[in-house]
Amino acid sequence: MKSLLISLLLLGAGLASGCTLQPVQPWQRGVLAQSEMAWDVDPLMATQRRQMQVSKEAASGGPTLGGGGCGCN
Amino acid sequence: MKKSKALAALTQAALVLPGLATAAEIQTDYLFSHYQERDIRGSNLGGGSAERYEIQSHLFRVVSPYRDNTVGLNLTYESMSGASPWFIQPGADGKPMQVMSGASIREERVDIEGSLSRALLGGVAAVSLGYSTEDDYQAINGGVEFEIEQLETPITWSGGIGFSHDTLEPVQKTGITRIDEDNKNSVTLYGGAAIIIDAATVAQISVGYQHHDGFLTDPYKQAWFTNLANALPESRPDGRQAWTVSGKLRHHLGSPNAAVHVDYRFYRDDWEIESHTLELAWHQVLPQQWRLSPSLRWYSQSQAFFYAPYYNDFRADGFASSDYRLSPYGALSARVDVLKSIGALSLGGGVEYYEASDSYALKNVDVENPGLVEFLNFTVRLSYRF
Repeated sequence: MKSLLISLLLLGAGLASGCTLQPVQPWQRGVLAQSEMAWDVDPLMATQRRQMQVSKEAASGGPTLGGGGCGCN
Repeated sequence: MKKSKALAALTQAALVLPGLATAAEIQTDYLFSHYQERDIRGSNLGGGSAERYEIQSHLFRVVSPYRDNTVGLNLTYESMSGASPWFIQPGADGKPMQVMSGASIREERVDIEGSLSRALLGGVAAVSLGYSTEDDYQAINGGVEFEIEQLETPITWSGGIGFSHDTLEPVQKTGITRIDEDNKNSVTLYGGAAIIIDAATVAQISVGYQHHDGFLTDPYKQAWFTNLANALPESRPDGRQAWTVSGKLRHHLGSPNAAVHVDYRFYRDDWEIESHTLELAWHQVLPQQWRLSPSLRWYSQSQAFFYAPYYNDFRADGFASSDYRLSPYGALSARVDVLKSIGALSLGGGVEYYEASDSYALKNVDVENPGLVEFLNFTVRLSYRF
């Protein structure tokens, strides 16, 4: 639980620092829009890999809801 | 001004979550994967077949604009065969030996999921509904996700809530005690913020919560009791709560024209499993529309409070499981993906090697589970935009 609290503190600090950043104007965001900068560069491949990991590891979750079904063994 | 709006729209598209992607054109995707686990080592095998699982998957996806909405349809078909870890028996010197099922397991899974997303209240909202079926397992899942960009700040907020209702009907085998049918329910929540740090760097931090209740035991696995000199069906608590904290960083390097990805996740649940996952990826853009993406992933978990390779006596709470997925271990995986675009067509593929071992765990492991997995996964990708 201590690790979780430390992580939440880091999360708060990160958000606080985000609020003081200089805004990047829309016309300066061309690089951020490139496909290799996406959270999941290939969403379909990411879905398949998540399914593999969920069926082999105890931990799961993150900023996604995941799918249904087991497919485990 | 027109150019600025187009760039803003593109940036928004880059920031949205996969489930929330809005489409301006019809995109079709296909993925084939061949997953092959390495046979269990002879020195770890206590009985049954050494041949482990092999899975072939076909994933199809269509995303299309429809009026002011974007609709998506995902279809997955998987065929699985091979032997699965059954229980662990002490060897002559007390060393845990994995007893496998026979190699006769053969099953298929079909999963269909639909989604609808649209711009709403200055952001993007999406709903999804899916159904997955196997011989012995059915699941209905759904969710609602949203994302809101605050134009006056560099922050984009996102969140979601999802549910899953799963029904288990294990295949019965003469002489082995198994439940006839049972259910489990899951609720998943997450919330996060993406922050544009500068024109080449964006980060995301998020927290997640999962609540599972019902039959969370694996009906095919057993645990060995030395006091009985016999194995009994495993038993897990009928509730589980888990929390995650995740961070993602994307940074573009202009000179090599590449993007660096760093992903970290901390996980903890009330079965006392704590886990760390760190993933590093390099996406190199090459001339003539090629992209090469090598990556490394490290994973480590501690054990569930009721886990043991085998038991000398019954626990007071009655729980018992020797499943390697609840054991303490670490895993390393390396993968390489390649993509080539030719106009509206994209072709690609990848290979991943994954090895679980006690030596990759963050903390010292007393006894390694003999059923830890090692696999190779090959993928082929095809996309076309109309």
